[in-house]
Amino acid sequence: MSTSAVMRLELRRLFVRPLGWVLAALTLAELGWRFVLLLGNFLAMQVRLAALPSGPGFTDMVGVPLLSSLLTGGFIPFGLTELALFVVPLLAMPTLAGERSHGTLPLLFGTGQSARAIVLGKYAALMVWLVLWLVLALLMPLSLAHATHLDWGKLAAASLGMLLLLAALAAIGVACSAFASHPAIAASAAILLVLALCSIQLGAQAAGVNNSVIDWLALPTHLEPLLRGLVSTGDILWFLLLTIVALALAIRRVATEKERD
Amino acid sequence: MIAPTAASSPVLQLDRLSRRRAGRPAVSDLSLELSHGQVLGLLGVNGAGKSTTLAMVAGALRPDSGSIRLEGEDFLEHPERARGSLGWLPERAPLWPELTVTEHLVAHARLRGLRGTAARQAHQRIVERMELQPLLRRLAAALSQGQRQRLGLACALLHQPALLVLDEPANALDPVQSAGLRTLIREQAAAGTAVILSTHLLTEVTAVCDRVAILHEGTLRHDAAVDQHDHAALERRFFQIAMAGEVRAA
Repeated sequence: MSTSAVMRLELRRLFVRPLGWVLAALTLAELGWRFVLLLGNFLAMQVRLAALPSGPGFTDMVGVPLLSSLLTGGFIPFGLTELALFVVPLLAMPTLAGERSHGTLPLLFGTGQSARAIVLGKYAALMVWLVLWLVLALLMPLSLAHATHLDWGKLAAASLGMLLLLAALAAIGVACSAFASHPAIAASAAILLVLALCSIQLGAQAAGVNNSVIDWLALPTHLEPLLRGLVSTGDILWFLLLTIVALALAIRRVATEKERD
Repeated sequence: MIAPTAASSPVLQLDRLSRRRAGRPAVSDLSLELSHGQVLGLLGVNGAGKSTTLAMVAGALRPDSGSIRLEGEDFLEHPERARGSLGWLPERAPLWPELTVTEHLVAHARLRGLRGTAARQAHQRIVERMELQPLLRRLAAALSQGQRQRLGLACALLHQPALLVLDEPANALDPVQSAGLRTLIREQAAAGTAVILSTHLLTEVTAVCDRVAILHEGTLRHDAAVDQHDHAALERRFFQIAMAGEVRAA
């Protein structure tokens, strides 16, 4: 009950702030541009692809690349994954650091809310926004479902991967916001952390280190199979573990707020 | 909501409450009781421990030791049980700048567990009482300090708490608004709400409080009924306590 009250308050704040609308408008416009480019490329190659016995289809060339450029390369224009690395920390930055700078965090405690209800309520509100964002992005390839052959299984696996990615990024964003004194610091910390998770593997390889632990830590190791349509428990657990650890740290930090000087 | 408890049972019991801040004791061994309908004025110089005490009573700060009981419930063990019993207006009335006055009231009703008809009735009642009708659509960021204070009070009173905690509510209010605040506090007390009022203004205490507690250097130095006809006696006592501290420090 308390979590839902905090969630509704946070949702309201999220939807009346211009930041959410500006980010949604810019990113969806950018994704629309990417969709048109990917679709044009697919149409140009369609005849040649049709001649291949198991050549890539609409899902491989438009649906999944719209969500991420991890498999296809060619980062610009960004896919949803690349945009999420910046959008989620920006959206998450005011969740707790903003409350702290406005002096409203003690007010929430004063209404009898626990640290868990505050953190989970804010996280849930953020997830509502992010799920809507994902659905709107997915509507682009889905709008052509009647005119083309969609690989539903592959698209569902990729969508699951994106959902897990957004859940983990949101949890990291909320955790950084819980530890930061100012929203801008929270956003910077979250972006750095997320970029480190994405590039740790490449960094290690560049340094000549080939380590399975570093591979396991890297975010692309677990996102890539899902984008290819391979759903494995290990990858799902990695995302869930990251999400749970980040949220637990955020709850712990907010709970100690009452003990601070 | 105000519970129909016996008049003798205290709404609030503080027992040996202590809390250190910035490496020094902000509140030491503070014990107090407050009954339904009683208005307690909390006096003290800056840094005496008033705001720390109120933040602990409101659940925003955890004491290092001691206990807080609100309507018989251990507030520290079960802070969520107090959400219907306590209303708190912190100093400077913190608000969410991007939300309107109505949105604040709706959010506070939900946070306090009010739903449906109860929430609507509470909203209507408090809007009328606090004369917020012309401000309902205005963003909190656009409110004057006096209007912020009124909205903060409305949020604290929305759920008709058994205990109302006010941290320097008269700051930034003009004389008319201050008089309105006094009337409001007396109304609340008459309805059975226990009120703690932290203030720098001795006149506020003699005008509205039944009891006065003077804190100095985190300890309770004076706790007695207010003689509304002898403002000078309270003033003498206050300066005696405050100056004694300064003489010792010198």
